[in-house]
Amino acid sequence: MSDDHKPKAASTAPELHGILAEYDTPDQLLNAARKVRGAGFEKWDTYSPFPVHGIDDAMGIKMTVLPWITLCAGLTGLGSAILMQWWMNAHDYPWLISGKPLWSIPANVPIMFELTVLFSAITTLVGMLMLNGLPHPSHPLDLVKRFARVTDDKFFLMIQASDSKFDEKDTRDLIDATHPVAVESVMEDRVTAENFPPALVYGLIVVTCGALVPVALAVKARHSKSDKPRIHLIQDMDAQPKYKAQRENSIFADGRADREALPGTVPVGHLNEDDHFFRGRAQGGWARTFPAQVDLSEETMARGKERFGIYCTPCHGQSGAGDGMVHKRAEALAQGGWIQPSNMTQEYVRNQPVGELFNTISNGVRNMPAYAAQIPPEDRWAIIMYVRALQRSQAGTLDDVPESERGSVK
Amino acid sequence: MATEKGKQDAGKSPKKSTEKASGGAGGGGKSDGNSGGSGPHYPGDNIRLGAVGQSLFTKAAGIGAVALVLAAVLGSMENDGFRRFSLSYVTAFTWLLALGLGALFWVTLQNLVNAHWSIVLRRIGEVLAASAPLLAILALPVVVPIFMGNSSIYAWSNTHQVEASHLLHHKAPYLNPTFFLIRFVVYFGVWTLLSRYFLKNSLAQDASKDGSGLMAKMRTAAGPGMIAWGLTMTFAAFDLLMSLDSTWFSTMFGVYFLASCVLSINSFLPLAAMWLQKRGVLTKSVTTEHYHDLGKMMFAFTVFWAYIAFSQFMLLWYANIPEETAWFKARFVGGWGGGWGLISAILLFGHFVIPFFGLLSRHIKRRRPTLAFWAIWQLVMIYIDMYWLVMPNADPAGPPFSLIDLACLVGVLGVFIAGAAMRAKNLNLMPTNDPRLPKSLAFENL
Repeated sequence: MSDDHKPKAASTAPELHGILAEYDTPDQLLNAARKVRGAGFEKWDTYSPFPVHGIDDAMGIKMTVLPWITLCAGLTGLGSAILMQWWMNAHDYPWLISGKPLWSIPANVPIMFELTVLFSAITTLVGMLMLNGLPHPSHPLDLVKRFARVTDDKFFLMIQASDSKFDEKDTRDLIDATHPVAVESVMEDRVTAENFPPALVYGLIVVTCGALVPVALAVKARHSKSDKPRIHLIQDMDAQPKYKAQRENSIFADGRADREALPGTVPVGHLNEDDHFFRGRAQGGWARTFPAQVDLSEETMARGKERFGIYCTPCHGQSGAGDGMVHKRAEALAQGGWIQPSNMTQEYVRNQPVGELFNTISNGVRNMPAYAAQIPPEDRWAIIMYVRALQRSQAGTLDDVPESERGSVK
Repeated sequence: MATEKGKQDAGKSPKKSTEKASGGAGGGGKSDGNSGGSGPHYPGDNIRLGAVGQSLFTKAAGIGAVALVLAAVLGSMENDGFRRFSLSYVTAFTWLLALGLGALFWVTLQNLVNAHWSIVLRRIGEVLAASAPLLAILALPVVVPIFMGNSSIYAWSNTHQVEASHLLHHKAPYLNPTFFLIRFVVYFGVWTLLSRYFLKNSLAQDASKDGSGLMAKMRTAAGPGMIAWGLTMTFAAFDLLMSLDSTWFSTMFGVYFLASCVLSINSFLPLAAMWLQKRGVLTKSVTTEHYHDLGKMMFAFTVFWAYIAFSQFMLLWYANIPEETAWFKARFVGGWGGGWGLISAILLFGHFVIPFFGLLSRHIKRRRPTLAFWAIWQLVMIYIDMYWLVMPNADPAGPPFSLIDLACLVGVLGVFIAGAAMRAKNLNLMPTNDPRLPKSLAFENL
């Protein structure tokens, strides 16, 4: 508000807001506060450059309810965290991850802790502001010149005229008895139709209308269709003069950004010519024999067992029966959404050519992911060798047992 | 009425607040009339224990000695090569060690941060911290068998067991009797030197003309002292407690023990101060405000203990690696209702949830009987925590309660209190010449 029309307001409506007393020391303020409190006033306050020890007692300020509000907010935060995590993880979108229970308290404690603190902290701040009646953009004391020194070295006490015990003369006598350095009447600073500056009114109208423009644009954009690309406010390095994989490129006749290798060329190390070794194909079908590169030795078998232990047992189990740890845990939780891994010793898998098994490991099948990226071809063949041994062990006949041992098996 | 509080704070200027703080010593306090500037810095208060200290020494030493002998006799009747006794003794000793180390931490911390409020309590802390050499002697029943290579509870000290176990063999470069002897000397050496340093300089301050020089000297030592304390405390916790089960490891274990140390001293100090005040010592100097602050520290470290205990648990739980989870699995035997699982549940609720709400209110912290109740409660809980750490080694099925446990606890505590009483009886129980004393006496929580 501009200065020039304050005198006008004061001259038209000289209404008393309260009586202000100024003191030099905190002790004087404490004494004054005790006297004013003793006189039974209710609408009064003290002002000081720093928190004065003992002022709460002197003014008879009661303990704040803020701690209780904070406690309730903290408990609300705790409850919200429990409910939110239960609803998201165990109820609305149950999704089993590596055999962990869908609903388990330990995993949720960090969020419970965080939300308890968050709710408590925000509520304490907002509650403190609200209980203190803040923010308080204007106050009659703002117009009192001497009051500026409350931020420096002076101590003030004001009794409001709206107090039921207030009487202009008696109250002033009471204040005089506390030996203030200065006493001043504080005038009300009411905003009325006459003293409200017209420029401010028009300014506010303009600003309000201006503030509505972005909102209106957003509403319009949400309710109309456009074939233009979205406005990209923050570019980062999103748009770059280059072609990404799987994009269009008008330069080439086929319109593809990805270019195939030139006819008759192969990238270094990617020849992979041998269909049998690299893809398990031979004579137009799945290969029925191991490729020549694979050494059918004990060593390869040991390698196959080791790799099988690393990559296959978690789901398929040690014997390949489809009962690995991941399956067991998922089964034990009985929370649905789980399909048992295949038993690789059952007959139809036994009858599959080695080439088809190779393809299964390389490219995956049904729920099983592809392992070509993790297991090199020679190890895949070694694993197949071991799988064949497992299958054989589960489908053995008496003829497999050496003559000398047959007696003990029967 | 309080609408302008925000403005008061906003207008606070640093220059004025210091001026106020020094003025507040005479003006703001309830117990006005103490001389702020010249003459003795404390009000006419009794700060000597005198004959009461002598009688406490006699009683505590007597009870302690009888209890320790009783524990040893009961232990020998078990006919298990003192294994049960050793485990009971380690439980009681580490509980006491947490208190003694907590006192040293507390004294170092007050010096380090230049605390004003705690000056009236500092001497009590210094006296308790100075028990370090006594603790070294009390450690002998645990330590001597290790040196002799026939400890019944530390498998790593036994040559045959180390030979038989690949893991122990692997850990032998750290966990071996010789290196342990070196560490043991370093630990108690550091604690003795540090606690003696503070007590000696603090007493010299009483006699000096101007205490500010020694005050600055102690503050300078507190920084490196705190680092030394942190390292020695951590490795002592590894050696004495974690290595009982030498297959398990947790890098967080040191901080876990720290939580118990700090909670111990902040629970013990109010009890010690109340005991002294009942006998007419420090009656005017230690006020509700100081108890309130100790209560706040109790509350803070109750939460801190839970924070650390859960952090340690959750990391191991989430990773779910057998070699790490086995230790917790052994402590969940019996579920919620019995065995070690019940003790775990008692720790969860008794060491955290219940005291959390119990200590939340400021009224509870400002009332002596309620504060004393929670202080004793938490000291008991710290003992149960130590029991929970140690005793699954005695009986994997459940807590094997025995009179030996109680005898060991009473024994070491008796000796500790006797030592403190002997040290305290001829000393000023308040640093009379510390420049910060007037502020501490007039201290008020806002």
